[in-house]
Amino acid sequence: MKGLALWFARWYPRQWRARYGREFDALLEDANLNVLDVFGVVRSALEMRIKSTNVPRLLDMACRDIPHGYELESSVELPLEDGGKILFRSFYRQIDLGDSYVTLTHSSRGSGPAQTILICGKKGEVDGDFRTDETEMLVLQADGTVHRTEQTVKTWLKFDVMIDRVREKYRRGLSAEDIFGQMWSDSDNPLSS
Amino acid sequence: MSDPTLLVLASLADGDKHGYAMLEDIQRFAGVRLGPGTLYGAITRLEQHGWIRPVRSAEDRRQPYTLSADGRRYLEEQLSELNQIVKIGLKRLKHA
Repeated sequence: MKGLALWFARWYPRQWRARYGREFDALLEDANLNVLDVFGVVRSALEMRIKSTNVPRLLDMACRDIPHGYELESSVELPLEDGGKILFRSFYRQIDLGDSYVTLTHSSRGSGPAQTILICGKKGEVDGDFRTDETEMLVLQADGTVHRTEQTVKTWLKFDVMIDRVREKYRRGLSAEDIFGQMWSDSDNPLSS
Repeated sequence: MSDPTLLVLASLADGDKHGYAMLEDIQRFAGVRLGPGTLYGAITRLEQHGWIRPVRSAEDRRQPYTLSADGRRYLEEQLSELNQIVKIGLKRLKHA
């Protein structure tokens, strides 16, 4: 049983093996294993594999507090439907003046040209997890074109909660990988509450 | 109580342990036999939450873990909730 379990333990994702592989193998060598334990290893390895391939991966991140707001830079590896991956890089700055705010996002996806989005918003009524804002948005494309729109938008307030959590974890010195891992965990993911 | 993450936290509440020691301890105090896959699934989740962390060990491969302050707080909250449910359940059984 031990040999079988150790063989199936190779099914865990490479990242997981790099972190836990040696100690997990030591446990498999120490424990008295039965068939159910071997099935348990297979199931757990498959679960980890599904998790590791279906979610984006944060490669790098930097966060700075600035007067009335913050700046956040990140590089995220996004999985594609065909099994490939694409790199999404972004710089985000938010300045909040109480009744109004300004956000600047400069981002690029893969080898495509970067685009910059500037949003000025006036905060409106809050209803549950959403707030209705009056916004003016400028989209600056790399080819020199600029699109300007004014619209009333529903702002999802839990995004701010999520970013505050990320900033707090960053201040505590957690690595980008740990921060992202915790964002997807049940208790920290605002999508789950 | 059969949630593997709570069992691991409860096991670490009285001191640092590596995987095999946790399996033995959990079987002793809870009568639950966790498999290695289930145990390390729980350890992975708990470490991601920041509720446990690895500690230095003289042994090369058998990695001990310790409960963090957040983990201790979380365990206290969970046990307190369970305790409340047990109390209410027993009370209702008496009156049934």
